[in-house]
Formats: sequence, structure tokens, C-alpha cells
Amino acid sequence: MATQGLVGIVPWTLIAQICNLFIQLWLIKKFLLTPIRNILKQRQEMTDAKINEAEAAKTEAQAIKAEYEQNMKEAKEKANEILASAQKNANNQAEEILHEASQQAAQMKAKAEKDIAQEKKKAVNELKDEIGDIAMEIAGKVIDREVNEADHEKLIDDFISNIGNES
Amino acid sequence: MNINITGPRVFWTAPWEVPILGKFQLSETILVSWLVMAIITLTCIILTRNLKVENISKRQALAEFIVEKLDNFVIGNMGERFRYMIPFVGALFATSLVSNLISLTGLRSPTADLSTEAGWAIVVFIMITHQKLKTNGLGGYLKGFTEPIFVMTPFNILGEFSTPVSMACRHFGNIFSGIVINALIYGALAVVSSAILGLIPGAVGAVISQIPIFSVGLPAITSVYFDWFTGCMQAFIFSMLTIMYIAVEAGDE
Repeated sequence: MATQGLVGIVPWTLIAQICNLFIQLWLIKKFLLTPIRNILKQRQEMTDAKINEAEAAKTEAQAIKAEYEQNMKEAKEKANEILASAQKNANNQAEEILHEASQQAAQMKAKAEKDIAQEKKKAVNELKDEIGDIAMEIAGKVIDREVNEADHEKLIDDFISNIGNES
Repeated sequence: MNINITGPRVFWTAPWEVPILGKFQLSETILVSWLVMAIITLTCIILTRNLKVENISKRQALAEFIVEKLDNFVIGNMGERFRYMIPFVGALFATSLVSNLISLTGLRSPTADLSTEAGWAIVVFIMITHQKLKTNGLGGYLKGFTEPIFVMTPFNILGEFSTPVSMACRHFGNIFSGIVINALIYGALAVVSSAILGLIPGAVGAVISQIPIFSVGLPAITSVYFDWFTGCMQAFIFSMLTIMYIAVEAGDE
């Protein structure tokens, strides 16, 4: 079989080998580099997506937490408000009741005083009537018999003592 | 006893004659190159079968590892702007490596033919020159030949061409010398076999001495250096030089 030179350049082989190199380049690119790069890119995208997802979830959780805290704060404020207003109401009511009570007491006192005054007036009137009667009686007695000095004096004393007893 | 080392065999010669190039000859180099390409491509296809994003197989892990190493090799030495060089360097390295190692199967390496390396070196030379023109412009490129003084111009032109020539010859020489040394070792061991076993008297010695028994063993050891080590080393050196020459001409960013 014929052979080519041991050391030498055969133009056709040289051209063929250059072509082979570039065909090989294309083959490697198509069958190794492109698929691997695609898969790496996909993995990168997936990782990015997962990180983004986690980030979003975290943000959402924080938002929920903030909202919860806000609600809690509002509820607390409301409770405080309610408590304060209840206290205020109670105070008002108590004051009102006290006021009313004192008013009532004053009214009752006034009425009692008025009653007393009336009773007194009535008593005085009755006394006056009685004094009149007694005077009439005394006058009758005086007219009935002779009045001496001693009798006179005794009469006056009785009268006075009668007044004292009766009043 | 004669050792016969020949150039690549010719399996078919085209009947037509092309001017300058001569007749096309389908040589062993070209045939084995096709085999090399088939091996590389098949390996790529097998490695990238059933690619998944998660739960990757060992096969895929290996493929990703290779791509990652290749990326680091090119970008680490040339910078991010030479990302487009990755497929070329990958093809160059893979072809060179498999071509070198295919001699282990008894086939003749395509890289044991100077035409192969010359072809690659020409491609690299064109790339280097293209990069120089891109960096310096045509004026700067031509002016570069007259530096440091005008008298140096012929030497500079010589130096320019010595780059691809040295690259091609370095690679070719290493692989070719491996073939030659292997042939010499086999030849020598056959001689030793027949000489020692020929001492056995009678017909037994006559028969056994024809079998190169000593050829078993030692060539496997020498082959570790001449085929495995040199093969990997030259593939790496050729790729590395390609990268470095182009990166140096590109200058700093």
C-alpha cells in the first residue's frame, strides 16, 4: 500500500484537517456546550425564581405582621377608650346621684322645716285661743266672787303657772 | 531485523488532478481523524443525554464539570471578552487529546502527521494576526515589524512565522517521536526475545524464538510516558499557547 511522506505537509490533508477542526468545533458547540449552558441557565433561573419567591413570602409575612401589630394596637387603644369612657360615665352617674340625693335631702329638710313652722303657728294659735278661754274663765270667776288681795295674787300666780304648764 | 516506520498509508487516491494541491489522497490521517471526531461527538451526545435541572446524574455532573473547567481555562487566561474562543479551544484540545491517545489502540495518530498540526497552526496564526490587526490597526501592525530598529525587520518577519512553525513542530515532534521510540522498543525487544529464546535447543527454541515474548510488559510502561503523558501534555500545551498568544496580542483591556 502506498504511503505518504514520513515528515511532510500534504496540502489536501492539511485542508481536510482544518475543515475537521471547525466541524469538530461546531459539533462540540452543538452537542456539549449549548445543552450544558442551557441547563445551567435554567438552573440559574430556577434558583433566582426560588430566591425571589422566598423574598416575596418574607415581605408578605412582614406586611401581615405589621398589620397584625397595627390591629393589636388599635384594639388596645379602643379598649382603653372604652374603659376611660366607662369610668367617666360612672363618675358622672355617681355625681349625679349624689347631687340628686343632696337635693332631695335639702327638699326634705325644707319641707320638714316648713311643717315645723306650720305646727308651731298652729300651736301658737291654739294657745292663743286657750289663753282667751282661760281669760274668759278667769273673768267669770272674778265676777262670781269677791276678790281679795290674796286671792288676787293667787289668781295671777295660777294664771301664770297655767300658762307655763300649758304652753 | 528491520524496523519500518512509514508515513500515513493512503487508502484511496482521487483520479483527478487539482493544480498546486495535487491529487486528493484519502490517508490514514484523515480516516482516523473522522474516527476521532466520531468519538468526541458521541461522547458529547452521551454525556448530555437526559439533562435535568435537579437531581443530576453522574454523567451530567461530569459534562458540567468539563464545561466549567473549559470556561475557567479560557476565561481565566484570556478574560471575559474572549468568551467566543471557548468552543474553538475546546475543539482544539479535545481533538488533539483524543488524536494523541488513539495511538493506544494501535491506530496511527492523526497528530503523527505534520499536516494536521500545520493546519491547526495556520488557523491559530490567522487568529493571532487578526487579533494584532484588531488591537494595533494595520499601521501599528506593520510598524511593529520595524521595532526596535529598522534593521530588525527581516528577523521580526521570521519571528512572526516561527510562532506557528514552532507550535506545529513541537506537537508533531512529541507525538511522532513517541511512535518512533515505541517502534524501536518493540523491534529491540523482538531481537532480544529471539536471541535469548533461540538459545533453547531444538525445534522448540526455533518456534518460540519467533514470538517476541519480551514485548509484553515494558512497552506498556514506556507507553505511560510516550502516549499518555505526552499526549495529554501536548494537547494542553497547544491549547495553552493558542490562548496565550492571542491574549498577549490583545493587550490589556
